[in-house]
Order: sequence, then structure tokens, then C-alpha cells
Amino acid sequence: MSLGKLIERLLQLVPVLLGVSLIVFVMMALTPGDPVQIMIGDQNITPEQEQALRHGLGLDRPIVERFFVFIGNALQGDFGQSFYHRRPVADVIVERLPATIELSLVALIVALVTAIPLGVLAAIRKNSIFDKLATVGSLLGVSLPGFWFGILLIMLFAVQWHILPVSGRIGYSSEIETITGFLLIDTLLRGNLPAFWDAVKHILLPAITLGLPMTAILMRVTRTSMLEVLRQDYVTFADAKGLSRTRVLFRHALKNALIPTVSVAAIETGSLLGGNMIVETVFGWPGLGRLVVESIFLRNYPLVQAAVLLYAVIYVGLNFFADILYTVLNPRVKL
Amino acid sequence: MATANPAADTIFRRNLASFMGNRLAMAAAVVVVLFVVMAIFAPWIAPQNPYETDLFRRLQPPAWVEGGEWGFLLGCDALGRDIFSRIIYGARISIFVGVTVIVLATGIGIIAGLAAGYLRGWVDVIISRIVDILLGFPYLIFAIGLMAMMGPGLGNIILALAYKEWVIPARVVRGETLAVRELEYVEAARALGASPRHIMLREILPNILSPVVVVSTIRMANVIILEASLSFLGLGVQPPMASWGSMVSDGRAFILEAWWVSTFPGLAILLLVLAINVASQGLRDAFDPRFHE
Amino acid sequence: MTNLQRLLLASAMAIGPVVPAAHASDLVVGFTLDADTLDPANHRKRETETIIRNLYDGLLTRDANMVVVPEIAESMTQVSPTVYDFKIRSGILFHDGTPMTAEDVKFSLDRVTVEGAMGNGQTSPRQSLMGPVASVEVVDGDTVRITLKEPWPILPAMLPNQQIVSKAFVERVGSEGISTEENGTGPFRLVEWRKGESIIMERFTEYYGGATDIPPVGPACVDRVIFKFIPESASRVAALLAGDVQIINELPAFSVAQVNANAGTHVMTVNGTRSFFVAMNLEGEYFDDPLVRQAAAHAIDKNLLIDKILGGNAASIDGILSPDAFGASDLPVYGYDPEMAKKLLADAGFPNGIDIVMDTEGAFKDTAEAIASLLTKVGIRTTVAVGESAQLTAKWRLQGKEPKTGDMYFSSWGNGSLDPFDIFTPTHRTNDRGNSAGYSNPAVDALLDAAATELDVEKRAGMYREAELIINADLPYLYLWVPQDIYGVSDRLSGWQPSADSRINLHDACLN
Repeated sequence: MSLGKLIERLLQLVPVLLGVSLIVFVMMALTPGDPVQIMIGDQNITPEQEQALRHGLGLDRPIVERFFVFIGNALQGDFGQSFYHRRPVADVIVERLPATIELSLVALIVALVTAIPLGVLAAIRKNSIFDKLATVGSLLGVSLPGFWFGILLIMLFAVQWHILPVSGRIGYSSEIETITGFLLIDTLLRGNLPAFWDAVKHILLPAITLGLPMTAILMRVTRTSMLEVLRQDYVTFADAKGLSRTRVLFRHALKNALIPTVSVAAIETGSLLGGNMIVETVFGWPGLGRLVVESIFLRNYPLVQAAVLLYAVIYVGLNFFADILYTVLNPRVKL
Repeated sequence: MATANPAADTIFRRNLASFMGNRLAMAAAVVVVLFVVMAIFAPWIAPQNPYETDLFRRLQPPAWVEGGEWGFLLGCDALGRDIFSRIIYGARISIFVGVTVIVLATGIGIIAGLAAGYLRGWVDVIISRIVDILLGFPYLIFAIGLMAMMGPGLGNIILALAYKEWVIPARVVRGETLAVRELEYVEAARALGASPRHIMLREILPNILSPVVVVSTIRMANVIILEASLSFLGLGVQPPMASWGSMVSDGRAFILEAWWVSTFPGLAILLLVLAINVASQGLRDAFDPRFHE
Repeated sequence: MTNLQRLLLASAMAIGPVVPAAHASDLVVGFTLDADTLDPANHRKRETETIIRNLYDGLLTRDANMVVVPEIAESMTQVSPTVYDFKIRSGILFHDGTPMTAEDVKFSLDRVTVEGAMGNGQTSPRQSLMGPVASVEVVDGDTVRITLKEPWPILPAMLPNQQIVSKAFVERVGSEGISTEENGTGPFRLVEWRKGESIIMERFTEYYGGATDIPPVGPACVDRVIFKFIPESASRVAALLAGDVQIINELPAFSVAQVNANAGTHVMTVNGTRSFFVAMNLEGEYFDDPLVRQAAAHAIDKNLLIDKILGGNAASIDGILSPDAFGASDLPVYGYDPEMAKKLLADAGFPNGIDIVMDTEGAFKDTAEAIASLLTKVGIRTTVAVGESAQLTAKWRLQGKEPKTGDMYFSSWGNGSLDPFDIFTPTHRTNDRGNSAGYSNPAVDALLDAAATELDVEKRAGMYREAELIINADLPYLYLWVPQDIYGVSDRLSGWQPSADSRINLHDACLN
């Protein structure tokens, strides 16, 4: 891909981010509910005290002015203060982001590790019982409502059998020293195996709940593209040359068949990151999704604003990544 | 469907026959139809009044468990309402929301996609930008924000989901339109002086409808889960209506004492969504030429 | 010691640092919400205060029975109706080892009361909790004087809401720093805050001992305290039953039987401070008529609802005040009488009944629906409309700024201080913040205003009693109940008792 194309793609990001900010701002302006009233709750307050509080939050300025101030500050990397945490929203988001990313990545890995072999097998044994079972299984996967399935998993594994913890990201008694923010990596880097194991036990159920629909999608993609590749001339040719079937499959077919899988996985990861607030709620996972939903309910405008922008950047970035992947792995495609 | 030329008609018949030959897909289609029938005739099927509260039946277990009664097959919820009857009525909401959102979104998507793909130019630029912007929002967060803005209620759920859902058919239609707009028969129509409107609706649309229908049925399954998710977060339909998602949500606090309250509505979601997915898979295999083997 | 024992001990010591096993006595609280911040002056949430209260102490505190007692202050003297003197105890250390002085007290209270004192033009969201404070001064070294703009008799009841920070520390780390770090004088010091997951604290060994009126005095009993955040109530109960946590808050009423039946756990309750009621729109087309309001009152079988939905864990109320509140009294009861309700409705000119909507938040949907079905039975055909709390406050708490729409609003108002000023005034004074019924009665306004500044305790209680009688007759709200706060605890726990202000003070808690 040429540099020009790259710059063009980056420039396309600008209207998207501006549009996203504007929509969030307009939505918030039209949403009933007053952060100051929510904050004060059931107490007495004089009008002067209320005004002082409103002024401190910058809510006494007109909405249009607030929008431009937001854009101006955001360009300098300042996204404002969270009304409730009373700290820069960037800090609050950065604290929660690793939990969300870690969960999404583990869900992605779970999905890839199960989906690819199943998809390949289903393609090789097309129309066999296994293929049919895998098809139905994958449809079952996309049909499971995560909020319900998560509750069932907790009931079975945590409450009934006491194998896995009920909620949270790590036990309080496990020591953690933050390096990357990803507990699975940090505990390993520190050589703290018990803590690592503890983190694994915590992430297992939410990652399965989150990853299952993705497994299903990726399996379908792998199966389809594998079938397509198997029909290609060069595979037939390799077959004819008498190369071993396995060799053909893994050397040639799989490599090409995985291109769509990986790029779909990249795009789906975006929706995984933006769609895990339900799983986070059910499993008490201290991630960003739950925080954003709470912030919408509490009218914590700066946090919602910044988080949605972040989601948009991640989304565009992952799509970009998928495109690049496509061009790099598959030289026939020109961007 | 496509009546523009007789060839399309035979293809349609052949595809339909192919779909009917898929036993699994047919079985799923039957399940979907059963759910629809259940939703339409809910008042005649439901054994109890789904809204009738009776605090003396609070959290009564299902019939086969000790303390249950056959009149209340799947047990009762926290207000003593019959869960089975509420699930039957709940089908109305899931299906209504699913169908309405998809019809609305597909309608808008077709118009936007055709306009962008056929007219190109600034129309395409504007529509594509809007699509990009909306895609940048996480779906559920966008819907939650809209619900906070508009307030709860059935109509608002439909709007909150349709606001973003149309982007998906729009992209499909745009892509397909770009592919066919230079084909001979379109060129021919243009040469004969047909208006852009005529070309878009009469020449292009019939020929790209199959993939759109396939995508829409798959998305319907998704929309039903999204509605349930919104309801689960407490942004659903208004009482006394019961959405399956809100029933799961209401029951989760009782899960240790009364597992049935949220288990059965969740199963209902799973069953309906699975049936739609299996059926739409069959549709795709039968109707989308790219999957013909 | 035998060789074997020695060996065991040695190997235990060898693996000690590797296995981060739970400490000898770790008290884990399964808690609903994470703290917003650790800055005592920069939040407005009860859950946040509960956590902070174990790290920071206040001038005054409350014991489990809500009696206000000195903590950091040694004594309190009321010099005049508007001047209070607090003598500060000596020998109190902050967690960093520096001694606490009267200057720190003044600094802490100034941060809350002075406009813009939080820096960046921000005012503490807790300012209004301090009422009409005019100034805070240090007089003769160890005495702090609070001067009020006007008499405000509930100052002592409100002071436990404020905690004392270290002036030097705040000046060093700033308002941002103190939101995630702490340097208090409380029984525990912060070890680690895993945001959204848990807060880990350990015993502060040089603790001065806490309020002398709340024995035992001295360092905390347990080695560590962990607040583990488990928002889902079923998960919280499961964690308690599994023995992972020793205290859980907000135990749902229907789980009481299960927790009591489980070996090793039991339930503790305390009378809450939150009054539940249904506001009726007095500007609306039906509820402007007192007969309709009385009909609604007679339609509700409060005992049934309390028994079935709240598991019997609530006290019925007939006015706004909790039976435990200052100035509460026995009031006439609108008994459950559906026939009477129908008759009253007919007398009001609605023999065929009326159709209305009751707004409520999602959390109370069940209860609201149960009330709605009782109302429907007498002809007040009620549908429940669930809204988000922010939407509903915007709709119902208009403070007279625009005409009110809607019929009924199932809601509640908290009263942590149990002083009527905090609940009676906002909900019943004309156009006040929480007056969602749109009630306006000059007689009640006059009584509430006078009581707010009345210093004679008996007279003040009398005023509130009189006001309660008026509202009981006027019936702008259907007064329902004050639920108990329910906690699930481990049998291993001793020395802890739930408190009506919903705090969980763990200084005296022990684990066996």
C-alpha cells in the first residue's frame, strides 16, 4: 500500500471522529436529566450552592460553547474531568481499559483456537455428520443470549460446583504488580504462578460467554473459505502431483483460507470491545463497558464522550488493520 | 419478488425448492412459524392471564417440582404471575420488534444503498460518511444512549435499534448496486432513457434482492438478541408487557432461590433465535448465488 | 517443638512469600459499588463514604445506634446558637506518621465549605451537607470554632459526614492525588485500590483508638479489610454462602431464609432511613381531589406488601418520617379497605374508576406493579411506567419551574441523619427539591422553616409532629414504609453491627 493511500485513510478518520463527537453531544443535550441533581441526591441544597457546583463542572456554559471547548481540549489530549471520579476521564478510562481489552483478547483467542480446527475439519469432511453438527453448534453459539448464558455458567461452575469464582478479575489475596495492566501477562512476568492461575480461573467464564458467538462466526468463515480454497486449481494441481493430502492442506490451503478468518476476526474484535458491557455486568468484570453504561445513566458526559471516541478510533483502527492484513497476505488484492 | 423477467421467476422457484429440500432449515422455519402463531394467538393459548399478580404464588416453582401446580407449568415470578403465559405473550414483543426493526432498517437501507451506489457523487459521499460514523459507535452503547434520550417504551426500542441497523443493509445494497450498475441490461435501460428512479427500483433492485433478504433474516436474529439485551439492562418495554430479556433480568436476582424465573425466558430467546438463524442459513444456501456449490 | 513441627514451620516459611495466601485475619466485605474517589470532600455517594470512613476519621462520628459522639474532637461546646467549639484530641497521627493538628481540621472543613476551595474553580459537592457554615477558625491551638450564618441545630448530626485530611498531604499531591491516594487518621490504611474490583486496607498500628464512647478503643482487630465489589446481588449472596466474603450489604429480602439456613452464615438487620412513598400529582386531573387520594390510600394493603415483597423487613409509615427519626410520632392510619376506597372514588365523581400511570425506576418495578394491581382492584386502573432515575427526577422534581405532568410516582427519599430537616423539608416544602407531589401548604412551610432553626429540642420535635399531622390529613403522598437494611454475615464475625446510616465501620470487627 502506498503512503498516499495510508494518509488518505487517516484523513477519513477525521470526519468520522468529528461526526461521532457531534452526535454524542447532541444526544446528551437532548437527554433529560441533570448531573448536578443526580449527584446531590436526597439532600437539601441552596440555589447558590447548586450554582457553585454547576459552575465547577462547567455545566453553566451554553452547550455549543461546551462542544467547541471539548473539541479544542480533546485535540490537546485533554478530555475533561469525570463528574463523579473527579479525575481526568483519560485516567479513569485507562484504568479500566486493560480489563476490557484483556477479556476481549482472551475471548478472541478462545474463539480462534476452537473455530479454526473445527472450521477446517468441517470443510474437509463436508456434508459429514461432523460438518452438520458443527454447523448446528455454531448456529447455537450465535443464538445464545450472553446475559442469560453467563448467569447459567455462574450457577453451574461457581455456585453448584465451586470450581470457578463467582465474579471479579482476580482474588484479593493474589498480589499483583502492574507492568502492562494485563493480569495474565503481569503475573507471568513476575513468575507468580498462583496469581496467574487465579486470574485464569476468573477470566474463563466471561471469556467463554463473550467468545462463543465469535467462535461460531469464525468457524463459518473458516469453513466457507476453506471450501473455496480447496476448489482452487492449485490445490487440485498439488493433489494431482501426489503431494500428501495433509501437506497440501496445511502448507497451501490453510494459509490462504485463513485470510478471511483473520480479517473477520479483526473486525469482530471491534464489536467485542464495544459489546461486552453485558458480560462485564453479569460477571462483575471491572471493565470499561460497564463504566460507560453507568456513566450514561449518571449523565457523566465527559466520560461517555471520551469513551465513545475511543471506541470509534479502535473500530476504525481494526478495520484498517483488517484491510492491511488482506493486502499483505493476499497480494492479489489492491487497496 | 423479482418479476422483471421470467428467468428470475424460475430461479426463485428453483431456490425455493432447494430451500424446501433442506430438512433442517424447514424444521427451523416451522419452529419460527410456531412462535409467530403463538404470538398472534397468545390470548387463546396462554393458560393464565400473564398480568395477573398473586403475591401468594410468589416464586412458585414449576409444575414438576415440589410445590408446583400444573396450571402454572413453568412456575411463577416474583409477583406470582405465570411464567409460561408471560413467555407466550413475550413472543409478541420479540417478534414484533425483530420484524419492525428489520423492515424499517431494510427499507431505509435499500433507499440509501441504491442512491449511494447508483447515483454516486456527493450522494454517495454523504451516505458513506454517515454510515462510517454510525459504524464507529458500538451498537449497544448507541442504543442505550438513544433510550436514555427518548425514554423507555416499545416504539423507542424500535427506533433506537433501527437508527443504526439500517447501515447494514445499506452497505450490502450499495456494494451490490455498484456491481450491477454497469451491467448490460442497466446500460440498456439507461440508453432507452429510463429515469434513475425507474432504473434503481425496477432494474437494479429486483436483481440484488436475494442477498438483502438473506442478510436481513440473519440480522433479525441479532436484533431480537439486542432487544433482549436492552431489556436486560432495564431499558425495555413498559410493564405490564413482558419482554423475554426483562424477564431474564428480573429473575437474575432470584437465581439462587428460584432458577426458573430467568431460565425459561432465556431458553425461549435461544430457541427462537436459533430457529431464525438455522432457517436463514438455509435461505442463504438456497438463494445467494455465491453459496451455490 | 518436634523436628517434624520445625520442618513444617520451615517449609511454611519457605513457601510463604511465594503463595500470597490470605492473611491470618482478612475480613472481606462483598460490597455493591466501588468508591468514586478516595477524597472525602469530593463525592456524594453513600457507598463511597462507607469505604472512606474506614480510612479517615471525622470530628464526630455515630455509633451503631446513630448516637453522635466525638471522635477526633475530644469535646464539643455550643458557645451560642451560631458558634460551636471543638477541642481536638492530641496524639493523633496520620498514616504517614505526621501528627494531626487543629490546622488540618480547619483545612479539611474549609475544603468542603468554601466556594472554589477544591481548586480549578471547583466547589466541593459536599458543601450543601454543611448547611450555613460561615467560617471555620482555629482558636488557641487545639480548638476549632465553627461559626454559622444562622442557627442550624443539626450541625452535630451532619458533622460525621465529613472526614479530616492532612493539609500538608493535600497541598503536596493536590485534589487529583488525594482522589486515589490517602493519608487519613482512620483505623485502616490503604494497601491497594484495584479499581472496579476491590480495595485492600491493612490495620494502622499507630491508630489512636477511635471514639472513646465506642469501645473497644485501640487498633483494629483484623489485620486486613477488603472491600470486594460484587454488583450482582445473587453473586454477592453466592460469595457469602461459599465463605469467600464475611459481610455482604444489600442482601435481598427473599434471600434471608437461605442465608439463615446455610451453616456458618446468618442475617443481621437494622432499621433503614429511606422512606418509600408514592407521590400523587396534586396539579393533575385526578389527584387534586383529596377524596381520590384517600381512596388510593385505602386501596393499598401495606401489610401484605411488606410481608410478601419485603419479607417482613420494613416498618410501615403514615407520614414521611421513619419511626426512628427525630420528631416521629404515631399518626392516624389509612387502613386497607377496598370497599371504602371504591366508595370514596365514587364520591369524588368517578364511579367507573380512573386510568392512571405510575412512574418508577427499574429497581422498584416489582413493588410498583404490586401496588398498581392493588389500586386497579378498586378502580384506580394503574399501569406502571419504568423510567431511568435521571429522566424521572427531571420529570417530577420540577421545583415549581414548570407545570407537572404525570399521575403517580413511586419513589423514595433517604434520611441518613434521621433528622426531619433532611427529608421533610425537601419533600414537602413548597417547590422544594424533592417535592414531587407539588404539595404546597403555607402552614407546613411555616412549621418547617421555623423548625429548621429552632434550638429548643422539645419545641422543635413538637413542630415536626404538628407538620406530620397536617400532611397525614392532606395526603400528598401515599406513605408506605421504611425498609430495613439487610446484611448477610459469617458466623465467624464478631464485634460488628450494622448501622442505620448504612456505613460499615470495621474498626471493632473481629474474625474467629
